[in-house]
Amino acid sequence: MPTTATVPRSRRSELARAQARTGYLFVLPTAVLYLTFVLAPVVLTCILAFAYYDPMLGSRWVGFDNFARFFSNGRSLQILWNTLRFTFFAVTFNVSIGLILALALNRMMPSWLLYFFRLSFFLPVIIAAAFVSIVWTYFYGDDLGVINYFLRVVGLPGVRWLTDANQAMTSIIIMDVWKNTGFFMIIFIAALQGVPRNILEAAVMDGTPAWRQFFRITLPYISPVVFFCIVYASIGALQVFESIVILTQGGPGDSTRSLSILIVEEGFGSFQIGYAAAISVVMTVLILLITALQQLVSRKWVQQ
Amino acid sequence: MSAVLQTQAAKRWIDWAIIACMVLLAIGMLLPFLWLFSMSFRPVADAYKMPPSFLPPSLDFSNYLAVLNSKVPFVRIYMNSVLIALLVTVGQMVTCTLAAFAFSRLNFRGRDALFFILLVGLMFPAQVTILPIYLGYARVGLLNQPVGLALMYLTSSFGVFLMRQFMLSQPKALEEAALMDGAGYLKIFWRISLPQLRPALSALGIITFTQTWNYYFQAKVLLGKQDQMTLPLAMDVLRGYMGAGNLSVVMAAMSMSILPVVLLFLLAQKFVIEGITMSGIKN
Repeated sequence: MPTTATVPRSRRSELARAQARTGYLFVLPTAVLYLTFVLAPVVLTCILAFAYYDPMLGSRWVGFDNFARFFSNGRSLQILWNTLRFTFFAVTFNVSIGLILALALNRMMPSWLLYFFRLSFFLPVIIAAAFVSIVWTYFYGDDLGVINYFLRVVGLPGVRWLTDANQAMTSIIIMDVWKNTGFFMIIFIAALQGVPRNILEAAVMDGTPAWRQFFRITLPYISPVVFFCIVYASIGALQVFESIVILTQGGPGDSTRSLSILIVEEGFGSFQIGYAAAISVVMTVLILLITALQQLVSRKWVQQ
Repeated sequence: MSAVLQTQAAKRWIDWAIIACMVLLAIGMLLPFLWLFSMSFRPVADAYKMPPSFLPPSLDFSNYLAVLNSKVPFVRIYMNSVLIALLVTVGQMVTCTLAAFAFSRLNFRGRDALFFILLVGLMFPAQVTILPIYLGYARVGLLNQPVGLALMYLTSSFGVFLMRQFMLSQPKALEEAALMDGAGYLKIFWRISLPQLRPALSALGIITFTQTWNYYFQAKVLLGKQDQMTLPLAMDVLRGYMGAGNLSVVMAAMSMSILPVVLLFLLAQKFVIEGITMSGIKN
């Protein structure tokens, strides 16, 4: 009989049930933790954003008041603008410099050299901003700083890196690029290795100039990765917190204060829980918008 | 013919010029770390000596002893960091692997919807979850408890996603053969899938450990007093306590704090890079 090799029907449904049972069991720990520490808090924050929360006197429903307070207030708008400005420049420089470095390294070289490059560019990525920012505080010092010392040695005036309200944000962006660009470099190196060699070789044979090879072949090929990097970098940059807290504490004035710092100050400093919740909802909506926007754009431009 | 050879020679020359520039740049990237390390061995009086020397003057450990003897409970804080990072790492290795096995190997109703909901979690920042968690922790007494910080990261969307990517790239033949032999799914997971996943587990473990070691925002909100702090928070306190003059002592504390992460990375660079590129490329 030819059918004896197949599993009998009852045994098959038994297997399917066992499979489903194991599936639910294996997903259970993650599902419970995710529900408790991600989904439920997100929903609660969205509710809190419409309330005035007081643990003693009880909470009050205030509708859009918290949002109105955020958007009608010059100070919070300035902080929102700081965050957006930081995000724009940090993402642009991190991703583009990461790509340039990857292109420079995407050539034949001894493996120990590649190891050295990966080590030196990736080390800042894996060390907390809280640690490296303390080192940079001393690099950025006005009179005793290392950078200003060398500037003076070559006859240039020192820069008030962190104490000048017009300069401080730039200094933070410089440090952020030093710290994070290696991450994007590593991702781009892997992506560049996937560009089909024979197409590039054919282009070289045809005498296509290098810049044209890049824009016509390489860039379209790695565009999905470029878009991933832009989204990833934006999500991270919009949350910027510790590097600013340690370098400038948000100052001088409010010139470097970010949304994250404002959330902590309002929520845990002055206990304006509802207001802090509204700010974090604004931040989350920004993240969702940027992600959605980039999905839309990438559908149009990215070649799969 | 000779023209081709000539352009090839020129190309090789450009190649080496670019690599030389990259070497200089790479050294520039390392300078802050060399400076930090060198500073930790320098006598406090020499902290602001200019020009700064990037090599340690001598192996004098007095700054390290000064950290251990300071008013800040450094050893206690160090242990908090170790405890949180280990708990989270082990936790994620268990929960994420189990979930990833289910999402990549088992069929059950609602699987894809569940996975999608989990992935959405990658977009929510810590800022949008921290307020309710803070209020909840205050109620159940988990505030100012290092274990509380560990508890909220026992699983992660990223971890499940990463492990699932690895599992999807593994052949199924062995598992199917075992199934035919009548092995249960638990046995297949434990005996066949897990041993194949060792490199992936190393990647997840190291990435998670590093990330947890570095948490700042969450730790600052949830852990208030010095006894319950983690290392990133302690640096700021140390800086205040020691004052600007004792720069060398702060740098000694920093050297000790970044040591585990640097060591892990040096030992397992390959796994870290693999894990990170895998999560970035195959989306």
